[in-house]
Amino acid sequence: MAPLNRLRSSLPAWRFRQLSTRLVVLYGMLFALCLLSIAGISQIVIWKNARDTVQAELSASGSVYDRIWALRARSLGDSASVLARDFGFRSAIASGDRPTIESALANLSARADVAQTFFVDSAGDVIGNGLPELRHAVATVPTTLASGRRDAVIATKKGVFRLIVSPVLAPMEIGWVIFAIPLDGGEMTALQRLSAIPLTAAILQRRGAAQWHGGGGRTRGDAALDVFVARAIAGERAPSALLLPGGWAFALAKPLAGPTGKAEAVLLLSYPWTAAMAPYRTMQIGITLAGVIGLILVLLGSRRLANGIARPIAALDAAARALEEGNRTELIVQSDDEVGRLAHSFNLMSAGIVEREHRITHLAFHDSLTGLPNRTYFREQLDAGLARASKRGESVAILCLDLDGFKGVNDTLGHPVGDVLLRRVGEILSGLAPDGVVSRLGGDEFAIILDHRGDPDRPRALAQAILDQLYHPLQVDGHQVATGASIGIAVGPGDGADADTLLKNADLALYLGKQDGRGVFRFFEPALDAAARKRRQLELDLREALHGGQFRLNFQPIFDLKKDRIGGFEALLRWEHPKRGNVPPIDFISVAEDTGLIIAIGDWVMQEACRQATAWPDHVRIAVNVSPLQFRNSGFQNVIFQALSRSGLAPNRLEVEITESVFLEGESGVLTLLHQLRAMGVRVALDDFGTGYSSLSYLRSFPFDKIKIDKSFVDSVAHDDSSAAIVRAIVDLANALHMETTAEGVEDSEQLAELRGQGCSSIQGYLFSRPIEGSAVMAMIAEPMSAVA
Amino acid sequence: MAGAATVTVEVRSSDGKPLAGAVVLIDAARKPAGPIKFDYAYEMAQKNITFAPHVLIVPVGSTVTFPNRDKVRHHVYSFSKPKRFDLKLYGKEETRSVVFDKAGVVALGCNIHDAMSGFVLVVDTPYAIQTDANGRAAITGVPAGAASVRIWHPTIRTPDNMLSQPATVSATGYSTTYTIRGR
Repeated sequence: MAPLNRLRSSLPAWRFRQLSTRLVVLYGMLFALCLLSIAGISQIVIWKNARDTVQAELSASGSVYDRIWALRARSLGDSASVLARDFGFRSAIASGDRPTIESALANLSARADVAQTFFVDSAGDVIGNGLPELRHAVATVPTTLASGRRDAVIATKKGVFRLIVSPVLAPMEIGWVIFAIPLDGGEMTALQRLSAIPLTAAILQRRGAAQWHGGGGRTRGDAALDVFVARAIAGERAPSALLLPGGWAFALAKPLAGPTGKAEAVLLLSYPWTAAMAPYRTMQIGITLAGVIGLILVLLGSRRLANGIARPIAALDAAARALEEGNRTELIVQSDDEVGRLAHSFNLMSAGIVEREHRITHLAFHDSLTGLPNRTYFREQLDAGLARASKRGESVAILCLDLDGFKGVNDTLGHPVGDVLLRRVGEILSGLAPDGVVSRLGGDEFAIILDHRGDPDRPRALAQAILDQLYHPLQVDGHQVATGASIGIAVGPGDGADADTLLKNADLALYLGKQDGRGVFRFFEPALDAAARKRRQLELDLREALHGGQFRLNFQPIFDLKKDRIGGFEALLRWEHPKRGNVPPIDFISVAEDTGLIIAIGDWVMQEACRQATAWPDHVRIAVNVSPLQFRNSGFQNVIFQALSRSGLAPNRLEVEITESVFLEGESGVLTLLHQLRAMGVRVALDDFGTGYSSLSYLRSFPFDKIKIDKSFVDSVAHDDSSAAIVRAIVDLANALHMETTAEGVEDSEQLAELRGQGCSSIQGYLFSRPIEGSAVMAMIAEPMSAVA
Repeated sequence: MAGAATVTVEVRSSDGKPLAGAVVLIDAARKPAGPIKFDYAYEMAQKNITFAPHVLIVPVGSTVTFPNRDKVRHHVYSFSKPKRFDLKLYGKEETRSVVFDKAGVVALGCNIHDAMSGFVLVVDTPYAIQTDANGRAAITGVPAGAASVRIWHPTIRTPDNMLSQPATVSATGYSTTYTIRGR
């Protein structure tokens, strides 16, 4: 397991992009390892086998050499002894006949085929033709040769010689015949030929105490060789491996005994590795070939297998990637194994994801209530439509539609009914505009895109058809709901080259259509845009005015006819714009109301009026107009309370003026608030009485402190009997209800006389005074008032 | 004879064992007058393909007979310097004779039978005798005075296989032991 773990731990170092490659490499490596071990083991076996064979051969050859060696010694010895025993030869020796001895030796040399033949007498004299070195060496041999031995190997500077010694007996030893056989290349070749295997024979010569070198440069002197020879001399008989100049070889060293028994030369038999291994070469090639073929087969096989596993996985991988990019993919996998099941699961998962994606997309682009496209989708479609139109030189029209009084439906009939109504309207619009894209932008807002080609009248016709259809009450959940709609139409690219502008302009047209009166459609005109821009600027200016202190209050006195003195002042808002100059309220109040700024402005007015009024005498009240929007705002009561507590003004000196319109959105809340104000001690006046609904029921519902008679009645009260009668009726009604009356817009003394005659409690108008600055109020109060009357 | 003493020599081989058959020679201070004679026949017979005796001591000038007592023929020769001779093939009961006129050791061989070896010691002194089985040799009647003792044996590895040593023979005699180095 350990090598496998090591293998595995080393694998992560290589990153494979493909599973199949990894499998192939893994299997290939495992098999290669297997092959390597087989090759290694077989190599070892071959090596051992070769070694054993060669060792046996070498040993055998060694023995053969020994025998040949001995045979040769005997045959040469015999040859020598023939001479040594020859009577004539002995006679020649005895008589010191040197020429005869030399000729006998020469004769022996020729007969025995030995070049160097010597005779040594017992005195050590050497006779014979031969190398001088050899002559010198052989002189001492007979006396130093151990008893019984007849041959020895000596090393000289001229090479190594084998000496065969044969004594000359007469009958005592009187000398020795010596053959000296050079152990040279020729001799070695002759030895080599005798072997069954192609051995190399060489003679090593001693050089120094334990150094050996070869003859003829065939072996070099080195430490390994010295050790090898030393072992052989010590008695090692088994061949072993040795590095020779020609490469590794099996070798066997045979010490050759010198005259004293000490070896001066060594016979080295060697057998080269390459020769020893040659018989196994085919086997090695066979193993290698089989291994390579096996490796190729394993690689092919594991590739096939790996592909079988990896291809479906690769397909899954590709499918998963495609899915990641949002493409629906279906895998076809036939196998019913784990991979097959995985592919099946993947298909199910992929289908689920795609289905959910569709749902999400639908949710993202559609309105869940009506199922119509939503604003986002509408925007995209409009962008696309505009782009298309500009390319083709066509136009795109959009119709923005808003239901009239939808909030009322929600409030009175409940949201479920409102939702059903919206669905019904959606269906109606879709039915009427099959050629357009009907979307619900939000709330009760719908929009239709019309790519009208060829029929420039189509937007108008469609708008009219929609209005006609919605003119009739709709049957919704058993309720008859009368709803109308207002439509704004803008046609691009003339009214706006981009979706934002076009939509804004259609909205503007819708807005103005609503202002004109509900249930109409209106095309956008550039002038509308200009007006709208102006309003926007005004709105910005208003905000700046509020924060920059451009507002101030003027006060118009209300003259008490009963007491003939000033009974109070009505606070009137003045706006002194740095550039526009004095802006009349009629120009900005509607904008303030539309934007909600009226609440903040109203707060300021309330605070400022109360603050200034505290400086006035106690009988002088301050009257402040409150817009319906401000009045209905939930914090209104708090505003009053804060204004009073901050200024310290007595509540009964504050008179809040409201118009009948505050009742339009329902009575109950208004009445509660009025009673709360009353409870605080604040007075409440009903402004502009007689111009609106003038429902008497309001007067019954709430005991106003004062009714202010509208200027339209006052204008003609002196000359028109009917106006006089109405004024009288109002005054009488107020008196009966214990309410005060103030006539507004009194401009001449005839009017004053009439009003006074009719019992009106107070008047207000240019006759008495125009609105004045706050700083002038105290002076006016101090003036004598009789002159006015 | 006044002043005559007995010389006793013991010869041992290198391993310390008594060496039989070694020849002890004493060259005395004074040579006796008259010819030297030994009381045995000067005969070197060939019997059973050996020389009998193996060693024969004879005075200078002696004539030694070489009777063949074998059925085979012999060819006795000598290559020794004191006397070189060559008795060509001779048969049974044939006798040859050789005069040894120089002192020295004469090695005998047979040209037919290599194994045959014999020695004739030609001496110029009467005081010569072979050691017995105990390696002893006792020589009587040696004149006192300075003398030279020589020992001969084929195994002594010197020229002529001879050792020589001076000695002084007293009236009471002389006794010595030789241990030879050799094969």
